[in-house]
Formats: sequence, structure tokens, C-alpha cells
Amino acid sequence: MPALSAAATARDANLALCHDCHKLVALPQTGNSHNLCPRCGAGLHFRKPASLNRTWALVITALTLTFPANILPIMNVNFLGGSDASTIMDGIIYFFQEGSYGIGLVILTASILVPCFKIVGLILILLSIHFRWKSWLRHKALLFRIIEFIGRWSMLDIFVISLLQVLVNFTNISSISADSAAPYFVGVVLSTMFAAITFDPRLLWDA
Amino acid sequence: MATNTVKPDLTSGFDLNQVLACPGCDLLLEKLTLAPGEKLICPRCGETLHTPKKDSINHSLVLALTGLLLFPYAIFMPIMTLDTMGIKNTGTIFDGVISTWNSGYIFVALILALTSIIFPLIKFMLLFCISLNLKLNRTPYYLISFMRTYIHLDEWGMLEVFMIGILVTIIKMHHMANIHYNVGFFCFVALMMVALGSSLMLDKEEFWFAIEQGES
Repeated sequence: MPALSAAATARDANLALCHDCHKLVALPQTGNSHNLCPRCGAGLHFRKPASLNRTWALVITALTLTFPANILPIMNVNFLGGSDASTIMDGIIYFFQEGSYGIGLVILTASILVPCFKIVGLILILLSIHFRWKSWLRHKALLFRIIEFIGRWSMLDIFVISLLQVLVNFTNISSISADSAAPYFVGVVLSTMFAAITFDPRLLWDA
Repeated sequence: MATNTVKPDLTSGFDLNQVLACPGCDLLLEKLTLAPGEKLICPRCGETLHTPKKDSINHSLVLALTGLLLFPYAIFMPIMTLDTMGIKNTGTIFDGVISTWNSGYIFVALILALTSIIFPLIKFMLLFCISLNLKLNRTPYYLISFMRTYIHLDEWGMLEVFMIGILVTIIKMHHMANIHYNVGFFCFVALMMVALGSSLMLDKEEFWFAIEQGES
């Protein structure tokens, strides 16, 4: 595609794309005056403000929270007076031992693989901007779109625990309750989702 | 289909209505008119730029209204009953939030309430209000902020994820107990499909264009 190298970006043409309504607005390159979108009133910027700093901060937060989320027990099963706390990994191993490979894989994907993929992927993209790695740009753009799309699916385990908590509640015989890893796990999901929101994929192509 | 790249002449200027910029890589592109079912893709980064929808305002209105009618049943009616050795236990989506709150995980309960109840409800209400106004060719002053709120809340309503959560729960429990499906289950499945349909049928470009036309 020979035209691509010569292609102009909106910023080259002094045009800013509104983050909210995607309207193109002519904006002076210089001056830090606060400009608002004439159509929807959102603040106009050529790139998302402080995108790299915010995304780094949120990714590091997510990475830090990953440890307590996986080490502490996420669910507590009481059966006939005995109590058994299990981490996310314990739950997955249990399903594989039971022979329920399908559901084991679903939980493994949603609770462990997806959060890891998001964090590693975002770090890779951020590093490639810092070190100006110009190769594989199209693939990195695709990687970011995948990270954006799968963000919400990690909440799956929390929804399952909230349902089990209600349904398995046979007072003296058996009951299930959320345990200490739950808030950390929610923290990982939230911070990776916000990291994808604050990241501006156009920076990949600017570098 | 991919558009052609345009190289605007920066000195003499060009018509702003003839170009669009890719939100994924900032490339300036020629604006093409698409038929419903076609898809505009950025030739440089592969981002989907526009997927026009057939009759988006009408479809959104119908789906939002359906969602609002189903909503109380899906959230407050029992989803299923678990039966072990004659002891029965019934639960609703709302109970899940309450029991998480009661076990002391207030933050988790709050996020649960927001993503599975409050945000989906607000999204249906906003979509209903926006599409009804556009259908009646009215653009009251609050329409713009409603539309912006909808866009920001879009990915925070997680009914589809909750649906998979219900399926996982069923597979987890069906060895240990008899499961009876209640009204809430079927209402929730319907609600999830309506939510999915409403995000598939929403043509944001068309909505913004209609709002802009009404404002001027």
C-alpha cells in the first residue's frame, strides 16, 4: 500500500477527533486553551491527555493487585461445620480433577488467562511506544482492540460466586461465601478496564 | 470494505464534511456512504470506523422499551431453585448483591450492583429517552448529555457476562442438586438478548448526526 507512508493524520491537518462523538473539529496546534466539541461539549484534545502516565499507573496497579487476588482464597465452602477456603487456581484444579474440562477451561480463561493477557499485552504496547518499536504496528493495534473487548469478561467469576452464595445456603449443612481475594480480583478487572480506556492507540502510530 | 486514503491539501483547506479520522490511528480518510450491512474499516490499523444499521432509531426504541419491561422481572424474580435432599433454595440477581454486601464485601457488592443492575437499567432508560425523542424529531437540551452518558456507560453494563455466570453456576451445581428454572431465568435470558441486540442495532454516527441536525 504505497499511499500509506504519505498519508496524513488528522493532527497534521490541525483536526481533533472528539473522544465522545467522533466529530472532526479544526483546532489550533499551539496554545493550551480549553476547547470544547461544538456538537457534544466534550473537551477536545489531539490525543487523550496524559495517556501514557495514566495507563502505566493503572497497569502497575493491576499487576500489584494480581498477587493478592490469586494468593488469597476467593471462595469459602462450609460443609457440615467444616470450612474449606479455595483460591481461584484451586477451583480450576478441582474442575479438572472432576473431569469437567469444559467448565475448568472457561474459568481458567476468564479468571487467569484473560487478566494476564491484558496486563502483559498493555505492558508490551506501552514499552513499544517508549522504545519506538515500529514493527508489527497493525498487530499491536489488533492486540489493543482485543484487550478492549475482553476487559469485562473477567468479571465472570465474581458473578458466579455471588450466585452460589445465594443458591448454596443450606444453613447447617452447607454454604458458600465470598472470601478475601474477591475485592482484589474486582480491583484487577476495574484497573485493567480503566487502563484500556485511558490508553490512546493513536500513540502507537505517532512514535 | 476499506476506504481510500485521502491526502488533504493543508494549504488550501478542504471540506470537513468529506473526511473522517480513524479513532485507532488518526489517519484521515475519505468519508464514504455505506449501505446497511457494509462495514467501513481503516486501511492502516484495521479499526472498524462505521457500521451503518438499518432503521437504527426505531429498532433502538423498541429494544429499549422491551428491556425496560423485562427488567424488574429479570432482576427481582427468582432465577432458579436448588433442591438438595428436599431442602430448597431460591435466588434472584438482586439477592446476590445483598448477600455479598452482608458478608462484608461492600466494594464487591457495589460493583456487582452497578454492573449487573444499575448500569444496564440506566442504559435502557437513556436509550429509550434518546430514541423516542429522535423518533419524534425533538432535540431537548438534555439529549446531548444523555447520549454522552450512554457512550461512557456502554461497556460497564455486563448482562452478557452475567448470563455466562449463570450457565457456569448451573454446570457447577447440577451434579449436587436438582435445579428448577424459574420465571426470572427466562426473563434474564430475554433481557440479555435485548441488551445485546440494542448494542448491535445502535448506530452512534446516525444518532449524533440526528442530534446535530435537530440542534441547528
